[in-house]
Amino acid sequence: MSRVVEIPAFFDDKGFEQFAHSFSAGPITDRMLFDARGAQWASPYGLIGMLTAGQAVKEAGGPPPAFAVPEADEVRRYWVRAGFFGPAAELFEIHGKVPKVKVEEMSDVLLGVTAVRAMEDVHGVVGRIQEGAARILTNELGLEPAATARFGMALSEACQNIVEHSGTSGWVAVHAYTFRRRLGGRRVVVIAVGDAGVGFRRSLEATQARRFGDRWGDAAALEAAVIQEVSRFRDPGRGQGLPGIKRYLLRWQGKLSIRSGTARLAIVPPWDEDVPMTESLAPFPGAQLQIVIPAKEGAPTP
Amino acid sequence: MMHTIRVDRVLRETVNTPYSDLVTRATGRAVRTSIRQTIAALEGGTALLDFSSVGLVDFSCADEVVAQLLLERTDDVIVVLGGLREDHTETIEHVLTHHALAVVVQESPDGCPRLLGLVDREAQEVFERLHAHGAADAETMGQHLGWDAERAQDALDALVRLRLVRQEGLTFAPLPLL
Repeated sequence: MSRVVEIPAFFDDKGFEQFAHSFSAGPITDRMLFDARGAQWASPYGLIGMLTAGQAVKEAGGPPPAFAVPEADEVRRYWVRAGFFGPAAELFEIHGKVPKVKVEEMSDVLLGVTAVRAMEDVHGVVGRIQEGAARILTNELGLEPAATARFGMALSEACQNIVEHSGTSGWVAVHAYTFRRRLGGRRVVVIAVGDAGVGFRRSLEATQARRFGDRWGDAAALEAAVIQEVSRFRDPGRGQGLPGIKRYLLRWQGKLSIRSGTARLAIVPPWDEDVPMTESLAPFPGAQLQIVIPAKEGAPTP
Repeated sequence: MMHTIRVDRVLRETVNTPYSDLVTRATGRAVRTSIRQTIAALEGGTALLDFSSVGLVDFSCADEVVAQLLLERTDDVIVVLGGLREDHTETIEHVLTHHALAVVVQESPDGCPRLLGLVDREAQEVFERLHAHGAADAETMGQHLGWDAERAQDALDALVRLRLVRQEGLTFAPLPLL
């Protein structure tokens, strides 16, 4: 008998908490069925979240979970084009028909799900995305021409976090889409990066735990890394990546959120109603980072 | 004598990548090591790191290529930067400020050099004055700026510490940028 892990119908960062709760409801080595039959839409954060869960099961030595694909054909096709089913097939037993659609660069998928295992992968990600990013960021989001390079830098630093801190590989994906409710239906570009690695708490424990004392935990580790900008390395030149990302997001009124273990920290722009820190969440392996860059107010709607 | 080092070429020779982007700390370390070897073969003078054909530069790589290179300061060669785009300038300034460093930027052979990084206003004024009017001692510089000699000396000493001007005896001179 498999334990069913529900995939939310609308799987973005909010739906992720429902997914994490379902995933962590029993031992990670349980026989599991990821039930995506009712899925209607998934953000890159959702797609990478599912892969991260599969990777965590694999690394824990659990049996490959079954994965029931979405019933809606257009959703299956979108997930194929977004590069989800390639890595998913290595982690899950796929049940259901996966259409043979070419994984391609669509207008809305700036970067399909891409594995980040080594620094060379970061070069590839940054190099491949620039042309598409320039088109979306300047034409659709109305950002300054130099935004493409700044976006590439933010993407590079986010991906390097996987290689440097997770102790394992991870994934990155970048999509552009239109918010349904928030921001009056404005276009956004979303970067999602995730891994099933050691997470922020374990990564920083050796250098930071004593300083925080009893407060030490997932939330304190996120606070140390993102707000206090500390690094696990003693080299004073380290730890400039996340502060650099924050600077750009401030300029673009973008949003950064990072979830690790049982906590989630967000740098919240004025247009969003998220809370800066959420604790006591369902435990989830590794770290998940999301960057949302909205169109400038008044930017033309494509 | 100024020696130009094309950073994009160093990148291609050092790292197996079809791209021209200076990204990742590992890449930065490899590029810096290669630049360091080139500089070690020079006999003094100034090395211009030419970024004009470089794509994007991220913070980690900028820290390794520029900030760590300036921190090492093991040679008699002075490092200056050129060919910087707006985003390069922004990133490199961020990492230099983080380390309380500064560097001379020379955008064209006949252009006026400028400073990038953490330099106070007085040192900035002295730097500009030296480039506009040539070498001077602290007393002369103080007279030009309406300052006492001690104030001018402090600003000049700060520029020497950061290797942004040359000192020969009591005289301070701009870096040789030709």
